Amino acid sequence: MSGGGTGLTAERKAALESWLAGQAGARAVTVTDEGRLSGGAISLNLAVTLEIDGGRLDGRHACVLRTGSASGVSASLGKVQEAAVLGAVFATGATVPEPLFVGSDPAMLGAPFYIMRRAAGIAAGFRIVKSDAPQRDLARELGRQLGLIHRVRPGTPGLEFLPLPEPTAARQAAHDFRQWAGRYAVTDPVLTYGLRWLERNAPPSGDLVLCHRDYRTGNYMVEDGRLSAIIDWEFAGWSDPMEDLGWFCAACWRFGRNDREAGGIADRDDFYAGYEETAGRRVDPHAVAYWEAAACMRWAVIAIQQANRHISGTEPSLELALTGRMLPEIELDLLLHLDAVAARGGFV
Amino acid sequence: MINDDPKAGDLVAIALRSFRESILPVIPADQRFTALMIANALGVAERELAAGGKGEAGLADAVGKLINAKGDLRALLPRLCTDIDVGRLDAPERQAALRAVLMDITRARLAVSNPKRLAAETSRSETQKFETPGSGR
Repeated sequence: MSGGGTGLTAERKAALESWLAGQAGARAVTVTDEGRLSGGAISLNLAVTLEIDGGRLDGRHACVLRTGSASGVSASLGKVQEAAVLGAVFATGATVPEPLFVGSDPAMLGAPFYIMRRAAGIAAGFRIVKSDAPQRDLARELGRQLGLIHRVRPGTPGLEFLPLPEPTAARQAAHDFRQWAGRYAVTDPVLTYGLRWLERNAPPSGDLVLCHRDYRTGNYMVEDGRLSAIIDWEFAGWSDPMEDLGWFCAACWRFGRNDREAGGIADRDDFYAGYEETAGRRVDPHAVAYWEAAACMRWAVIAIQQANRHISGTEPSLELALTGRMLPEIELDLLLHLDAVAARGGFV
Repeated sequence: MINDDPKAGDLVAIALRSFRESILPVIPADQRFTALMIANALGVAERELAAGGKGEAGLADAVGKLINAKGDLRALLPRLCTDIDVGRLDAPERQAALRAVLMDITRARLAVSNPKRLAAETSRSETQKFETPGSGR
């Protein structure tokens, strides 16, 4: 599967091998291209094996080479920045792939990239949620992991490029969604209503932590029922910690298992309990409910942007085109959620 | 152009049927995801062409009542957006009425983009009504 526009050409492979040898202080590095990995509408993930002869990483390493695609969405980080985030999270002891090499020079492979260790297991959401009994241990572990991730705070060296939300995380999010929605914000009444609701109900500023911002079933890997890696860090940024909990529990990420509100795998209780074990803060269910509405909205505007990559002609793609037609189901989830919170009270 | 037959909707429908019956069963596993996306896209196009704006008059009526205006749906939706934006529908009972209209619009769009999800939602909300009469949700 090398070549064909998705893998490494012979020329790029040779350039990469020589650069890696320099980076690793090795006599030689051989890269075996094992083909494109599934998933990742925004990034390209290539399975590679590195044979490193000498130096600090002497030996054979199963890795993923991750690079950007032709056009991204507004919220996504560049690959060099994403690698820096991953490095900071790896340092907390969270179960994430270790970044090994960061290539900032776009000339080498056509775009900046990084290479991380490859985790084993499956990520596909519809496969993860397939189990007769709820996966309570997995939900609890995912809560614990999120608590660890949220220990990364503003001021962490190497993450200065991440902008701080202004004036609060919620108001920044609502502002961003309005920008990203473009003309849809004033022509699609469900989105207009969602934006209005988010602006009127925005919680005051609280803790700011490193949020993954795509922490959900489908973005972690599981091997034999156990968590093996949390992946897809391209949307990370400083925000309200409850944003990640709301995203994880939002109706759009349950893969048809609406009865298991924590990511389609278990009840919220296990996920919340795991979070409180490591995060050093309590879960605020009211704030999570706010961020679940924000989650539907965020997914809606990302879907609009994905579709626009196709519609604008920059990246003709059937998958991106169909993502645009997911808007009605995302908006249905938003309306059902706003109906439910209106019935419970507490929001205006 | 001269009105050539069969029409676009008919062509898309028969293309999708042929694709499903003759091509999909023999698609290799590594091409199956793309093939299913093709069938999905053709299905959306077929339903959109078949619907042809049916039902829009009823939705326009509902939107018109909500914002006290007249017109077709295309003209009314941006006005609805403006009313929402400036806060004319902020009061709780107005929001509830708004959500009901938005739900009808969304269900009509879902009938084109994802009728399976619409059917699941319809049966879920009917079960809920049956189990908890009068409670709304």
